[in-house]
Amino acid sequence: MNFAEHLKRSAVLGLAISILITLALSTWMFRAEESDLRLQHRQRLAVMHANALALAVANTNVEETGKRVSDIQKLDPRIESVIIVGGMQLVASTRAEDAAPRQLGREEKALFDLSDQIRTARETNRGEDVVRKKTVQIEEKTIGHIVVTVPYLSDGQFAGILQMKFNTTGPDVSGADIFSPAPDSYTLPALLFLAALLAGSLFRMSTERKVDFTKLLALGVFLLIALFFQQQRLERLERTVTQANQAIAANYLAAAQQYDRLGYLALPRDNSSVNLWDTDHYQRPLGLIAADGSVSAKTQAAYFDKRSGFLKRILGAIDLLGAAVLLMFLYGYAARTFAALKEHADAYTYVAPAMIGMLVLVFFPFAYGITLSFTDTTLFNEFLPFQDRLIGWANFKAILGDVNLYERTAGGIIWNYQNFYWTLLVTVAWTISNVTIGVTVGFLLAMALNTEGLRGKAIYRVLLILPWAIPNYITALVWRGMFHPQFGVINQVLQMFGMQPVAWFDGVFSSFFTGVATNGWLSFPFMMVVILGALQSIPKDMYEAAEVEGADRWQRLRYITLPLLRPTLIPAIVLSVVWTFNMFNIIFLVSGGEPGGANEILITKAYKIAFENYQYAYAAAYSTVIFMILLVYGIFQTRITKATESF
Amino acid sequence: MKRSQTFFAAGTLFIAGIFSAAQAAELVVWHAYRGAEKSAFEKVAKLYETKMASKGIKVTTLAIPYDAYADKISASVPRGKGPDVFIYAQDRLGGWIESGKTVEPIGFYMDDATRKQFLPGMLDAMTYKGTVYGLPLNYKSITLIYNKALVKKPPKTSTELVNLAKKLTNAESGRYGLVYWYTNFYFHAALMNAFGGHVFDKDGKLVLDSPETIASIKQMMKWYKQDGIMPTEPSEALVSSMFNEGKAAMVFNGPWFIGEISPSVDYGLAVLPVIDEAGKKPMRPWLTIEGAYVSASSKQKELAYDFAKFLTSEEAGLILALEGRQLHTNATIYKDKRVSGDVVLKAFHDQLSSAEPMPNRAEMTMMWSPATTAMNKVVKGNATPEAALKEASDAIQESINALRKGR
Amino acid sequence: MADIKTRNHVWLHVVLISFTVLAIYPVLWVLALSFSGQQSVGLIDLPKDPSFLERFRGILPVPAHWSVKNFTEVWTEQDFGRWMWNSLVVSLMTTALGVFLACTAAYAFSRFRFPGRNVGMLMFLISQMFPGTLMLIPLFIIIVKWMGLGNTYVGLVIVYATTAIPFCVWMLKGYFDTIPYDIEESAIIDGASRLTIFLRIILPLAKPAIAITALFSFMTAWNEFILASIFMESEANYTAPVGLRFFVGGFTSQWGYFAAGSVIVSLPVVALFLQLQKYLISGLTAGSVK
Repeated sequence: MNFAEHLKRSAVLGLAISILITLALSTWMFRAEESDLRLQHRQRLAVMHANALALAVANTNVEETGKRVSDIQKLDPRIESVIIVGGMQLVASTRAEDAAPRQLGREEKALFDLSDQIRTARETNRGEDVVRKKTVQIEEKTIGHIVVTVPYLSDGQFAGILQMKFNTTGPDVSGADIFSPAPDSYTLPALLFLAALLAGSLFRMSTERKVDFTKLLALGVFLLIALFFQQQRLERLERTVTQANQAIAANYLAAAQQYDRLGYLALPRDNSSVNLWDTDHYQRPLGLIAADGSVSAKTQAAYFDKRSGFLKRILGAIDLLGAAVLLMFLYGYAARTFAALKEHADAYTYVAPAMIGMLVLVFFPFAYGITLSFTDTTLFNEFLPFQDRLIGWANFKAILGDVNLYERTAGGIIWNYQNFYWTLLVTVAWTISNVTIGVTVGFLLAMALNTEGLRGKAIYRVLLILPWAIPNYITALVWRGMFHPQFGVINQVLQMFGMQPVAWFDGVFSSFFTGVATNGWLSFPFMMVVILGALQSIPKDMYEAAEVEGADRWQRLRYITLPLLRPTLIPAIVLSVVWTFNMFNIIFLVSGGEPGGANEILITKAYKIAFENYQYAYAAAYSTVIFMILLVYGIFQTRITKATESF
Repeated sequence: MKRSQTFFAAGTLFIAGIFSAAQAAELVVWHAYRGAEKSAFEKVAKLYETKMASKGIKVTTLAIPYDAYADKISASVPRGKGPDVFIYAQDRLGGWIESGKTVEPIGFYMDDATRKQFLPGMLDAMTYKGTVYGLPLNYKSITLIYNKALVKKPPKTSTELVNLAKKLTNAESGRYGLVYWYTNFYFHAALMNAFGGHVFDKDGKLVLDSPETIASIKQMMKWYKQDGIMPTEPSEALVSSMFNEGKAAMVFNGPWFIGEISPSVDYGLAVLPVIDEAGKKPMRPWLTIEGAYVSASSKQKELAYDFAKFLTSEEAGLILALEGRQLHTNATIYKDKRVSGDVVLKAFHDQLSSAEPMPNRAEMTMMWSPATTAMNKVVKGNATPEAALKEASDAIQESINALRKGR
Repeated sequence: MADIKTRNHVWLHVVLISFTVLAIYPVLWVLALSFSGQQSVGLIDLPKDPSFLERFRGILPVPAHWSVKNFTEVWTEQDFGRWMWNSLVVSLMTTALGVFLACTAAYAFSRFRFPGRNVGMLMFLISQMFPGTLMLIPLFIIIVKWMGLGNTYVGLVIVYATTAIPFCVWMLKGYFDTIPYDIEESAIIDGASRLTIFLRIILPLAKPAIAITALFSFMTAWNEFILASIFMESEANYTAPVGLRFFVGGFTSQWGYFAAGSVIVSLPVVALFLQLQKYLISGLTAGSVK
């Protein structure tokens, strides 16, 4: 039995590969999640201590501040150093080399800027009445050594920043060891993998039947193994989360007792009060630990559910992927791919260079854009971590779900030009009219220029491609000028023949016409050249034969020219549609979408959303919608015209 | 170009500490100039090199077309590429600061002498939420430019303006007394400010549809419809064509326009008129102020700041003003005879007494399109000023809310 | 018979001349502006109650004064010659790379039947569908940050060629399809290899299509502005469209210079078209088949 045949008959390879993929990806996800959890835990600990100290030194004078800072720092060996900066002043410092208070040195610009940044963040959050700027800054250059910066207040006003160097590498107060990664045991995955191999080697599939017992069994075994493994790791993760939270609570109690002893704690310590030490990076209390240090199991479970929601979805996707891989093997696609690669090696070699360039330079940006469309990225948050920006389908719902297309008023229907469906309608009309004009004019001219014995063909040809040759930035300006109501040439011509001048950019239709006229003018030379070239592929003897058989000119066009032009014309038309759909320049330069944005097309809208409104993700979603529309069109068009199959 | 940790506290001595003498440091500066501005700027850069000869500093300038400039900055600087210093107007500043990793705050470096050397209002344009992010380099605003063959004495008030313009208007042969791009909100702002309108109030709240702004649009409509002294569908190209062919007696335009005026037109400049209808308040155009910013990804920020500071010095200012025809921000250069004797430089300096910096908030970018749409609707009679501005405000507010989303 | 032909040609000329006038009228305004020595577009100057003839004179695109000042300024003020050269190098490299890769891929798509063929064709089409506005940052990351090809010709050529390839593949594939298969079959019987057939038979027969794809690839690279300005980090490496954009944008717009520059920039395109157009008029029937 050769390899391809073996692939077809046995389930072992399919099960092995799908299990391997699923286990590897799941493990990778869990590791990422656990390492993220540890990171958050370290930072939460550091933020808690910094918050505590910042609250303790609020409203104290410079001397008292210095004293309190050094007292606290001495009590906890994990606090390596603390500095307090207000404006250009180093107010307090526990570092031996600093003689605080003193002026900041030139190399300490970063501290000044950080203080200013946190001040602005607080003011922005207050001024805009939303919380969007972090007031806690964390830096962790080497793992475990955290530099956390929080604001400190005086009389409720921002007075400066407190920066604490916190070392989490030593033993924890609670005695729990959250920080070192749990050793990954490979016994379970290895056993599961072996089980898959064993199960797979027992199965022999029938290649004829679509569904047979073996296939179902293989799928069942796969799902059993994958889900069992993931459930195991999820439980372990939940234990770690609980452990971490208890460790924070223990740390809180220990620290609070020290503050109590020194008389620096000015917080209520009962279980109904909010714990102000344990906050997120926006200094909002997390609410996982009460002010008396008690931990509620309910809030914690809710917290874990929220935290693991994303992970669970990813795990589901991984299972689906694994199942898909398995099905590929079970139904012989893998075998066929393998055979095809071997059999058609030379064809793939011919295609590969162009395809690889395409995949790297086009599909990576695609992936970037499509990923972006599932976030809420804007100018204001573009450098936040990806997970913080992820929002799912909301952008698409906002775009497609806005059906407020028109309004009925006493004066009749008022169209809402900002609505997506209006813009889509305009875009479709724009595309159809442009491509029709481009192809018709291009075809007529190409036919004319292909006439035998016509004089001056070379001159016509060169003059007729000029609209394509000259940069359209300037010709668009000229066209815009030609449509000026008073000084424009077009209205002058109308008046020459006794007609009334038209205010071109005032009406929806006339303004639409200006864009179509300009773009039609710009695009017919390309079509003309394409058709001219395509006409050369039609052998002249076919016409001669047709003429002999008495076919008239129309019949020759209908039965020879058009069918033989099809293979080159269809791709040119399909691509023209795609390009025109996304033709940005002309609308922008000629009518500017006037009147009132009625003549914007989808792409100019997307541009405005991205570069004027800075809503990058929303613009990406717009672009993705455009892409999907074109994709549906492209598949539909190539199916019905069989453009890829022309002989 | 290795950065050492040692800095010196005072003066420019620190530079010696950053680089060992043998290493030539390269300072990369991006700008969007061409022609005379570019040569003057390059001359100043060379001058800085000469001054720093002992430290072996080389200044490399790169001109970038304006249309690609902001994109190039936004693409490269946050990714650790790009220049040490770049020059751009304040309108994108807010956006760059909000997105982060682009512009370095420089308040820490600034001494009092530097703060005081600028014309009034200039440093405000470089200040965002209380933090200084750049050194103002030059400013632009619109003023009244008139054809001397048609206008003997420029009008001082809006009444004079209308009376004179009516005489000079002949719509049928395409001649108008006053031509400016009145549908463009940048140009309209001069009228809006005269009436006391604003786009944002002090706290950053959008107040575009205030009664003051509505009144200013009504004033513009009076000139266009009732007085009939302005042509339809104005654009930048139309204004310059009409002025150059003697079809526009007066235009409101900025220093950039001077270079476009045909040699055959003898032009004069004057301060924008006082608006009688706004309680005799002067028109106050927006100031566009170009600043020199230190890039957040620069490896030599102190040196970069030092170069930016040099650009704003009197010495550099004189070259940039006299040879580059820029309206430099250094106050002392306007005491120089060559500057004060220059008709154009003096005229725009005069206009400065009633002008205000254009807001540098990131949200400003969201204003232009809806505001232009509103202006066009009003001009074409499709909406009242009240309704158009309300609609624009709602659209802008919606965009602003999308940005200011809580976390 | 001869009479009919001549009469038809008269009408053909009428049609062609009217389209040519339409096609070049805006171009004449560009020319008029570039030769005016001025920076602003000339306006129609009409007396009160103008007559038909006066209006007609008004719409003729003729500058008030003739001057080549705009051309000399554009050429001398900046290093325009160098930028034209850069553009030429980049565009020719793009053309060579794009046409070569497209020819091989299109040949495979046309002549081989292999799994994934339709999907592959569709992929090329799909690549044109995602709007380019958001591609800037990812392209910058790939070309400049990862590949380190900022400020080089190669970086631009790679991007331009990838942009041009999909059209070229589809166009060439369509054209290859029209070339009868029996020519190749007889060559295979004669013992020719695939490569020989491709180079000796298919490519010469597909000259019209190759000419079109070459022109298209060239134009893709020739007029591109934004990527060139963002990838290039020294003025010496700018391409002509970048140089041209210095005259407009922002506050100032030197339309006269821009027009003159546009005319200069379009000359090589016209020259290239003149070179290529002979392939558009002598196709298969010229006798190479038999």
